[in-house]
Amino acid sequence: MKLLTKTTVYFLLIMLPVFAAGAFYLYTKFNKEIKHETDEELVNDKLQWMRYLDTASVNNPIFSISTPEFNLQPTEKAAQSKHKLKGINIYQEPENTYAPFRQLSQVITLHNNNYELVLRKSLIEKDDLIKNVVFVMLAAFAGLFLFVLLINWLISKSVWKPFYQSLGKIQRLQLNKMEATVFDHTVTHEFNQLNAALNNMTTRIHNDYTSIKELTEDAAHEMQTPLAIAQSKLELLLQDDTLSEAQLQSILISYDELQRLSKLNHNLLLLAKIENQQYPVTEQPNLCAVIEKYLLLFEELIREKDLIIYKEMTDHAPWPLHPALADIMVSNLLGNAIKYNYPNGRIDIRVNANTFSIANTSQLPEIPADILFQRFKKQNTGYTNSNGLGLAIVKKIADSYRLQLHYSFKNGEHVITVTPGL
Amino acid sequence: MKVLIIEDEPALRANIQEYLERQGYVCELAADYKQAIDKVNEFDYDCVVADISLPLGSGLDVVKELKLLESRAGIIIISAKDSLEDKLSGLELGADDYLTKPFHLSELNARVNAILRRKNFDGNTTINFSEITIKPASKTVLVHNKSITLTGKEYQLLLYFIANQHRVVTKSALAGHLWGDEYDQAGSYDFIYTHIKNLRKKMLEAGGEDYIKTVYGTGYRFG
Repeated sequence: MKLLTKTTVYFLLIMLPVFAAGAFYLYTKFNKEIKHETDEELVNDKLQWMRYLDTASVNNPIFSISTPEFNLQPTEKAAQSKHKLKGINIYQEPENTYAPFRQLSQVITLHNNNYELVLRKSLIEKDDLIKNVVFVMLAAFAGLFLFVLLINWLISKSVWKPFYQSLGKIQRLQLNKMEATVFDHTVTHEFNQLNAALNNMTTRIHNDYTSIKELTEDAAHEMQTPLAIAQSKLELLLQDDTLSEAQLQSILISYDELQRLSKLNHNLLLLAKIENQQYPVTEQPNLCAVIEKYLLLFEELIREKDLIIYKEMTDHAPWPLHPALADIMVSNLLGNAIKYNYPNGRIDIRVNANTFSIANTSQLPEIPADILFQRFKKQNTGYTNSNGLGLAIVKKIADSYRLQLHYSFKNGEHVITVTPGL
Repeated sequence: MKVLIIEDEPALRANIQEYLERQGYVCELAADYKQAIDKVNEFDYDCVVADISLPLGSGLDVVKELKLLESRAGIIIISAKDSLEDKLSGLELGADDYLTKPFHLSELNARVNAILRRKNFDGNTTINFSEITIKPASKTVLVHNKSITLTGKEYQLLLYFIANQHRVVTKSALAGHLWGDEYDQAGSYDFIYTHIKNLRKKMLEAGGEDYIKTVYGTGYRFG
């Protein structure tokens, strides 16, 4: 629910009892006022009647009049100096209901006889009053409702605009482009505070990101120099004719292991770089061309194992990937398909603009998909030339560039499918 | 042939120097940017091997200076950074090749060799080793003046061997040379043996001598 909608709902919920209380107050106030007015009229009527009776009673010693509105009956009660006012309900025959009346009663003395004088006046019907009050209140409430909606619309258009602008910027935020994001100054204090905090945060994140990135790269690079020295020293040592075979063998092993270390270092650095999105998508290389390139490069390896290659490729399959990453992805997947194949095995390659799948026969059993793409999880024994990072790199490329990576095992074939994400 | 080695790590500098001198080059050394600038201004070199990150400056600026001087020297950049931008900017500035650390000395040597060949004779020359004659321009190989047909990889192997003649060349260096960064995709180095076997056979059939010696366990030596 939008913040504004929420505040509007709360506002209206609060206004509801306020309006109800207002209606109740108005009702009682009106009620009281009407009673008061009616009473005044009754007293006035009484004075008129008294004056009239005083003059008209000479020849009629005894009065007895009874109507709903005017009642004069002889009585034995003692005369009263003051009238009494009260509200009563009287049965109404045509409507079959009780209607409210105000009643004035007083025992008066006319020509030495005591009479009870009762004057009544009908009040406006309560029902009507309630109806009117509720109607007025509802109309006011509806007016308020429309007004609030209009104001909210205007507010969200203008007052909340900077907020939505900042929100949009946060949503579009990318780690490697963070320094370009600036949250502008607004006229609203709260939004200024928010934007200042966001600016502060993005700057800090950007700095942390840069320093971590630099640290990773520097560390990896600094490691390459001592590796280069040691490796070249060993290569020179291998030229020494005076060394025994066993000594040369030891040197060679150290030499090869150093290479493995530097390759590992190189691949870890590559993983970090992909994760940091340091390979922007600037062009769409043709994946088919990349595959042909690597099929040519691995030609001897394929021939060595007498592998049969089935290709199902369109002429042009542009993929949104940095060319270097397209190379790495194809080389790693194709390399694996060759490396883990058996002699006279087969490789199926299927490529178009929306799918890249590579299936290969292998001695290896089905691999649990959840550990297949993990770093350093080697499935194979006897392949010393694997550093356990090949598929992890492919996975990282997929994750960082929104590609879907899927592994399945069908009819003894390992199938890896890559599709561009949505 | 005079080669200038610009590298701030003394041990690496000495290793490169030792290997290249054994292959018959005259090497001069520069340990930092200033020395490098002084040397390239003072002397003519056939080839310059330059590290990018140097004390007092960048190897890329040395490349700029060489271009400013209209030097004919071939330039190979060696860098610990395997970054595409560095590689591209290096090549754009006019460097001829780019090698990432760590590298095989035999690979560096082969590249120096190739660049010198291209630079000095515009590729129109022959490489001779005893009865073997190679014409790089047409990629033909003659043994006793008789043409033999080699595959692309066999041809590359032969050039590499001749550049690194009399040196032990490891299988991993050969694999790296033939397959570049992807050599570890191969699974093993066994396939190199096949290429060498075929190369040896073809040369023997043409009446050549068997120059490729297997150095047990470590690699091969040519000549």
